[in-house]
Amino acid sequence: MRYKSRRSKLFIVALLFLFPLLGLSQVPERVPKPDFETDYIRPDFLTPTPRATALEYIDIGVLIVALFLATYFAHKQRSRQNIFLLMVFSLAYFGFYRKGCICPIGAIQNVTYALFNPAYAIPVFVIVFFVLPLVLALFYGRTFCAAVCPLGAIQDAVVLKPTNVPGGLAAVLSVLPYLYLGLAVLLAATGAGFIICQYDPFIGFFRFGADFNMVIFGLSMLLLGTVVARPYCRFLCPYGVLLNWMSRLSKRHVGITPDECNNCRLCEESCPFGAIKKPDEAAPPANREAEVKKLAFIIVLLPIVVFGSGWIGSRLEIPLSRLHANVSLAEEILLENSGQRTELTDETKAFRASGKPTEELFAEASAIQRQFKVGGWILGGFIGLILCLKLINLFMRRRQSEYYVDKGTCLSCGRCFSYCPYEQVRLGIITPKEAEKMGSKEVKIKQFRA
Amino acid sequence: MAKQAEDNRRKNRAKLWYNIAKRIAIVAAVLAGILSVLMIVNYLQTKSVDPMNSKAIAQLMTQLQENPSDTALKEQIRALDLLARKAYFIYQWQIRTGSYLLFAFVLILLLALKYMSSLQPRLPDLSKSPEPDEARENKFISRKYILFGGLGLFILAFILGIISQTDLKNIGIVKTKGGQGAAVFPSIEEIRNNWPGFRGPEGIGVAYHTDVPPEWDGPSGQNILWKTPIPHPGYNSPIIWAKRIFLSGADRRTQIVYCVDADSGEILWQKELNDIPGSPERRPNVTEDTGYAAPTMTTDGQRIFVLFATGDIACLDFEGNRIWAKNLGMPDNHYGHGSSLITYRDLVIIQFDQNTGGRLLALKTLTGDLAYDQPRDVEISWASPILVNTGSRTELILNSNPFVMSHDPQTGQELWRVRCMQGEIGPSPAYAAGMVYVVNDYARLAAIRLGETPDVVWEYIDDLSEVSSPLATNDLVIMAASYGAVTCFDKKTGERLWIQDFSEGFYSSPVLVGDSVYLMDVSGVIYVFKAEREFRLISQHELGERAVTIPAFMHNRIYIRGEKNLFCIGD
Repeated sequence: MRYKSRRSKLFIVALLFLFPLLGLSQVPERVPKPDFETDYIRPDFLTPTPRATALEYIDIGVLIVALFLATYFAHKQRSRQNIFLLMVFSLAYFGFYRKGCICPIGAIQNVTYALFNPAYAIPVFVIVFFVLPLVLALFYGRTFCAAVCPLGAIQDAVVLKPTNVPGGLAAVLSVLPYLYLGLAVLLAATGAGFIICQYDPFIGFFRFGADFNMVIFGLSMLLLGTVVARPYCRFLCPYGVLLNWMSRLSKRHVGITPDECNNCRLCEESCPFGAIKKPDEAAPPANREAEVKKLAFIIVLLPIVVFGSGWIGSRLEIPLSRLHANVSLAEEILLENSGQRTELTDETKAFRASGKPTEELFAEASAIQRQFKVGGWILGGFIGLILCLKLINLFMRRRQSEYYVDKGTCLSCGRCFSYCPYEQVRLGIITPKEAEKMGSKEVKIKQFRA
Repeated sequence: MAKQAEDNRRKNRAKLWYNIAKRIAIVAAVLAGILSVLMIVNYLQTKSVDPMNSKAIAQLMTQLQENPSDTALKEQIRALDLLARKAYFIYQWQIRTGSYLLFAFVLILLLALKYMSSLQPRLPDLSKSPEPDEARENKFISRKYILFGGLGLFILAFILGIISQTDLKNIGIVKTKGGQGAAVFPSIEEIRNNWPGFRGPEGIGVAYHTDVPPEWDGPSGQNILWKTPIPHPGYNSPIIWAKRIFLSGADRRTQIVYCVDADSGEILWQKELNDIPGSPERRPNVTEDTGYAAPTMTTDGQRIFVLFATGDIACLDFEGNRIWAKNLGMPDNHYGHGSSLITYRDLVIIQFDQNTGGRLLALKTLTGDLAYDQPRDVEISWASPILVNTGSRTELILNSNPFVMSHDPQTGQELWRVRCMQGEIGPSPAYAAGMVYVVNDYARLAAIRLGETPDVVWEYIDDLSEVSSPLATNDLVIMAASYGAVTCFDKKTGERLWIQDFSEGFYSSPVLVGDSVYLMDVSGVIYVFKAEREFRLISQHELGERAVTIPAFMHNRIYIRGEKNLFCIGD
């Protein structure tokens, strides 16, 4: 108990240390706001105002501390409770206080944009936000998702009665993050926009204001999240793809049990994200030869599928390029000039007032469309490759005799810890003998009451 | 016993807290639900009372445009606008406040539900034994889902790619051998083989198709191949490229371009141009003898260009599809804009002289983009520009008060200017063999010799033309006055060779066809006389209706726009 109490005190001291800093002012606005003689009250910005450099470093500091604590709580303490508390803090700080910006998920776009546009000077703290959770995942798994990500936290807070997503559906939906990642990278690289931020379903809650459709989208996600745990993290989050890749390589990933698994099955349904895998395929399948042939066929077909899907992706140059403001503007100008549209939009009015030659705009738009053609090839090929790899993975035979976590999809949230009898032993709740007998109803009840 | 009693107390306490949490959850859920509904209704209301799109205000604004000095109406608009804005901001405040309340209720609901859930932990269900092939079966199903899901995704993407079209790839940029996008413009031979603008090729009143029917008569229909009524009025002259004739018409409401088949006289298409971006809602006031469609159109052989008194300029292809259109700003012109368009290479050039702020404009033929915009320090004029090749360069020559000016047509840069004009300039310049001739009523007919320092070499001050442009041949200069006098001069010396009076005046300009001059008076009678040092009338022909336009000469035919009809004369 003393141990727990000391931890809590440390945690509270850390929070007390950090929260006064939140009151520090933002940097002065570059363009001073006009003064009104009337009683008009200027509304606050919905998007966060620029922060002083010192505060940016404090954000980095908070991130580092939060990541350290998340990793510590998951790996050393194995405490779901502390992970949950840290998650609440992250939700408050990175979500409601920092209004969801900057976050590593959106930083994907900044990094991409910087790579393709040398004129864009990416702030150092954006790079740190992007890289740090990935580096940590490379060694310790997705502890960032567990307790630091505000998007994950808000979803986690609403998980009430999680149900399992059927395997087939989950497999298909697991492709969506790759698609979203590819699109986001393509659009950022071409300067079309930052769709991850634009379509962030929870930003409206963090900022208490958003487009009506986005509020509906966010609410739907949260409602869905009550029964399908963290739907955005699992079936949309593009940063999750990168974390997934890194986490797969991690050697010190968190495990269900602190000891050896005795296949008691108690943890079987404990993970709402479907990251716990059952022991499988002790014996080879009856039709093994056919399975091997199919696998070989897919491997042979892989280059063709990648090329074909790349070609299909390249065909999307027109609809995708319309997401770029210049292309969309050029098409609107064309429509107006040709009389197919009679009402001028605000954008075309502004463009016409700028005096910029339409010829120049059309040339820019055409160049952007060519970029999208190349980008479409890469995006299509990437999706084709992912589909093939997923299929190949599903043909691979594993000899796993124990319950284990899928390192890629496990969010290190710690929900499964308490289900493991050896964890209960570690905490001194049951004896090793009782743990060995797990499976009997009495012990289970004792364990859960505790 | 004591332990059991303690257990019971604990159970009862847990049950009590569970019920309290349950009630809190229900209340929070109900309140959140009601608030959500109210906020949705509020949002829809906010959409419907957007002050920027208030129909009532728009209606009042229209009324105000018709009666700009109505102070009471202005006050009414202000009051209504203030009301709408207040309502809008109240709705905004309600939504903002509602958001905070909703957040609080949802938070309470979540906390209550979480607490309830913690009081009733669910035990793992181990009643069902795992199926031995469950994992394999799952993999099999997942494969199918991935396969069909992926196929569906690519089919959708393919269909989307197929059905998506853009006009950006067809904006008229023609690839040349060098691979660069460039406009294709006609050669001088092609221009001379057609009738591409005001006063024919280069705008100097010289026809290169010299086979003309010797006889015709409008009233009896002799050699009138066809006669097509043109519904909308316009004092612009027909232009012709290959077998297509283009002309424009306009009134206060409508601006229109007609394309007529040169062989049959059938109107192939007509295109209204009433919705050009930036076009003034209130039409300018124009006089009856200028109208809304005085400027003659022009073509570069692939596109046609039209300008109206509203300042609306448009480019269409030969099928009547609008390629681009824009408004140049409503001309500040007390009669109505009259200067015609001319093309040079990839530019369409506009002499946009106004009461204040006159400009020489050139737009890219492909896109309508501004190529140059030269301010003009001259008075208003109605004359049209001409293009002349001096042998060393091509010059764009403009007649205006007080300067006759020459510009580089490609850049708009001024090359020279000569002060010699005055008054409201109507006639356009004439050119032949290194000499430019300009005239205006109450001013002079001036001959300017081009060279290092262009200057007036002779002038004449009687029987001057008011509207009709002069014609220069190799030896002669001919001008026609609006009261009926036609005067011929020696081109080099300015000596008056002959003067001939006609019963009607001339607004149309003389055209040189071979060695004959064709000149139409305002009643529609065309006089044909030899371009010689002595007046020798060859023939005269009636059109049958009044006309002020310039006849077009193409392929053994004459095309004349009368007051109501377009005529084709041929044998």
